[in-house]
Parts: sequence; structure tokens; C-alpha cells
Amino acid sequence: MAEYRSIKVEKGSGGFGGPLIITPTEKRNKVMFITGGGAEPECLAKIIELTGLIPVNGFQTNCPEDELALVIIDCGGTLRCGIYPKKRIPTINTNPVGKSGPMAQFITEDIYVSGVTSAQISPADGSEAPAAAAAPAEEAKSVKFTADKKVSETLAAQQNKSIVTKIGLAAGKFVATFNQAARDAVQTCITTLLPFMAFVSMLIGIINGSGFGDAFASLLTPLAGNIVGLVILGIICSIPGLSALLGPGAVIAQIVGTLVGAEIGKGNIAPQLALPALFAINTQGACDFIPVGLGLAEAETETVEVGVVSVMYSRFLTGWLRVLIAYAASFGLYAA
Amino acid sequence: MDFIVNLASGFMGLFTLGGEQFMSWVTGIIPTILMLLVLMNAIIALAGQERVNTLATICTGNPILRYAVLPFVSAFMLGNPMALSMGKFMPEFYKPCYYASATYHCHTNSGIFPHINASEIFIYLGIANGITQLGLDTTPLAIRYLLVGLVCNFISGWSTEFTTKLVEKQQGVRLSRELKAKA
Repeated sequence: MAEYRSIKVEKGSGGFGGPLIITPTEKRNKVMFITGGGAEPECLAKIIELTGLIPVNGFQTNCPEDELALVIIDCGGTLRCGIYPKKRIPTINTNPVGKSGPMAQFITEDIYVSGVTSAQISPADGSEAPAAAAAPAEEAKSVKFTADKKVSETLAAQQNKSIVTKIGLAAGKFVATFNQAARDAVQTCITTLLPFMAFVSMLIGIINGSGFGDAFASLLTPLAGNIVGLVILGIICSIPGLSALLGPGAVIAQIVGTLVGAEIGKGNIAPQLALPALFAINTQGACDFIPVGLGLAEAETETVEVGVVSVMYSRFLTGWLRVLIAYAASFGLYAA
Repeated sequence: MDFIVNLASGFMGLFTLGGEQFMSWVTGIIPTILMLLVLMNAIIALAGQERVNTLATICTGNPILRYAVLPFVSAFMLGNPMALSMGKFMPEFYKPCYYASATYHCHTNSGIFPHINASEIFIYLGIANGITQLGLDTTPLAIRYLLVGLVCNFISGWSTEFTTKLVEKQQGVRLSRELKAKA
């Protein structure tokens, strides 16, 4: 067991943090798992096999902190997921939980990674993980038996998971997933939805209260109030170059949308036109974002150069068509 | 003196109006969207991104899969802007085309699935609010938005193949049509 190797752990589906490079040393040569009441996490076998770390079941025994190279937990987002990051011990959470709990500020990407299964674990030297996962896992088990000497009793770890444990683990994962989903949803509301609502509300208050709204509406209504105007609006929004300026945060489109909505609400614009209007005010969609978006798709520099111009052209080419198709499809919508 | 009083009350009036607007949105829109977001986030976490990746590699073959099915599923599962990252499974030539389609998909589906693009939801909600004010149901609008979007986004994506060819000629480069075999 003298030979230790580094591994790379990436975040799993819905996870947070990482990638972590775990490098065991002579002193830091143990991995502690505090999961499912003492049951082995699914990723443990692979970690042991790749690193040569000695497993320690945190529910049965303890281990000096300065011997820990890694901690594996399955915390749903309360105390445990912060406690080891706080001590600066690399932490893997098998549940997809991000920064949360009373110790959220210690959960950072350089010390914590979540949502991990064995698929996210690979040797750090870049060589591919063994394709046959089943066979190495069995080998790992036998390694673990010899390692058991150093660990006090790891009975729970050796036993196959009982049905009760399995149900418990599944229920825990289910609840943790939904809890995290709710946390993300509230976060989205707070960080993106509410600020925008506040911003637009204030604008609307000023626009309506000052009488500017009526003036603007009299300008907008003839444009948004009939199909010819909507096509013109769509063409204007998609003019290459201008389209990139109208894009950022879709702020302009959202404000125009709100104003058009207000006019529909007042009865100045037919509700049927809501559908083509949705397309008309958004023909510039994402023209400001092309290089970033193509970057996300790992496009090469050449592709980005061509793509920026090409997407703007195609927006201009198809923008008015989209409005017309939407208009054609809007017949019968809200027909009295 | 009256002038100052009028000015001050007029000034405050603007923000009272804004505040009323804000409250009506917070109580009328946030609760529903929040519940939807919770469910969608959970579904996405349970299904996992790997399955989407597998689908993506299958979907690069023909235009309908490329510009209608894959961006739709990606937008639903990954939302804006991560849906755009699915373009990495395409040959270079098709990446701008996929982008053109996927970005629109992040909008047209947001009427029914607000989680896709929560920060830009007001393009849809702004207009839909007018419908609500008239006492009408917004669901027909959201569904038509999605269906028309499906057709139009396909057209937008596909036509970008032609504009890309055009720009290739302009700039004198030729992008690879084959998927590079790299990890």
C-alpha cells in the first residue's frame, strides 16, 4: 500500500465545485466516508483502487484529521457538507448539493465537489479510467480487506447493503435532490427574477406616472398594433449590428414586451397579435452573445469569426419570416 | 408652497405606482414560477446531463434532429445558456447553425417552461400580462408560442447553413463538415 496516485474528481450531474485533484501522501493516506449510516458510497471502490488510500468508516471509528486525504459525505445540505471544507480537507459529496447550510461560506470550488459518482473520478495524470468498471471494483474490495487491519471494525462497510439501507439511501437522495432544486429555484428568483422585476416596475412606475407611457404607446401602438408594423419592428430589431446592440440581457426586448403587454391589456392592441408580437420583439435574440455561446460549444476561432456574421445574417434573413409565420398561426387565438 | 407639495407628491407617486406593479408581479407570478422551477430543477438533477450528452451525439445526423429535437431537449434540460454547450457535439460548420436555433429555443419554450430562461422571462411575461389583464387564459398563447417556435427555430437554424456558406466565401475560409475525433 505504499504506492499512492493522484486522482481527479469532477462534479457530477447537478453538482457543484471541483474539479479537485486528490494527492495522497505517506501521512495523508486515508479516506473517510461518512455516508448512509455506515454504508459504502458507490464511488469509494474506484477511489481506493485508483489512489491506494485506506478507507475509514466515519460512523464506526475516527481518524486524526492530519491523516485524511479526502472525506466522502452524503450530506443533504446542512452541517456536514461544510465541516470538512472548513478544516480545508478535500470533500466529496455524493449528493448534488452546492453552497448551503450554516457553513456555506467555507464550501468553495477548490476544496469541495458534489454530485459525485464513480463516473466523475479519473486518474490525475490524464490517462483514461479503466473502461471495465466492474472488475476493478471487485479487486478494490479485496484490497480493502487487507486494509481493514488499520481500520477498526468496518463491518457495515463489508456487508452488502440491506434493503432498509437501500431504501433509506434512495429516500435521502430523493429528498436531498428536491431540497437542492428548491434552493436553486429560490436563488434564481432572488438573484435574477426579483431584481429585474424591481427594475422594470420602477421604470413602469415612472413611465406611466409621468405620462411618458402614453406618448411612447402612441408611438408603439401603430407599430405593434398591426401585422405590417410588427414585421417592420421585426426587421428593425434584426438589422445586423443593431441586433447585437439590442441584445444584452434582453433588457430592451423585455421592456418593449411589457409595454406592448400593457397596450394589449388596455385593449389598444388585439390579443391575437400577442403571438406575432412575441416573435417581432425578439428577432435580435442572442445576437450579442454569439462569441460566448459558440465558446460554450467549444468552437474554434475561425468558426467564431464566421459564426458571428453568419448568425446575424440569418437573424435578418428569417426574422420577418418568423413574424409572418406566427401571424399565420395566430388566427383563432382569443377569437371572441 | 403648493407647487413644492405637488411636485413632491407627484414624485412619490411615480414610485408608489412602481411599487404596486412590483407587488402584483411578486404575488401573481413568483409563486407559480417558483414551484415550476423546483420541479424542473429536480427532474434535471434526477435525469442527469450524461443522458443529454448521449442524445446529443445521436442528434447531429440530420437537420430535423439537429435544429428541432436536440435544441428543444437541451433547452428544456439545461436551460439558457448551458443548452448552447451541446453544440460541441457538432462539426465546426454546424455550430453557428445550432447556436442560431438553440438560442431561439431558449425563448420560445419559456412560456410553458419558465425555468429555461428565468432571467429573460419578461419578453414572454410582459406580453402575456396584457392577456391576463383582459381576463383571458395565457396557456393557448404559451402553447402556440412553443409550437410556432419549433417550426421557426428549425427554419432559423437551417437557413444559417446557407448564411454560413455565404460568409465562408466572403472570408475565404472553409469550416470542417466532419466531426473531429477528439475527447
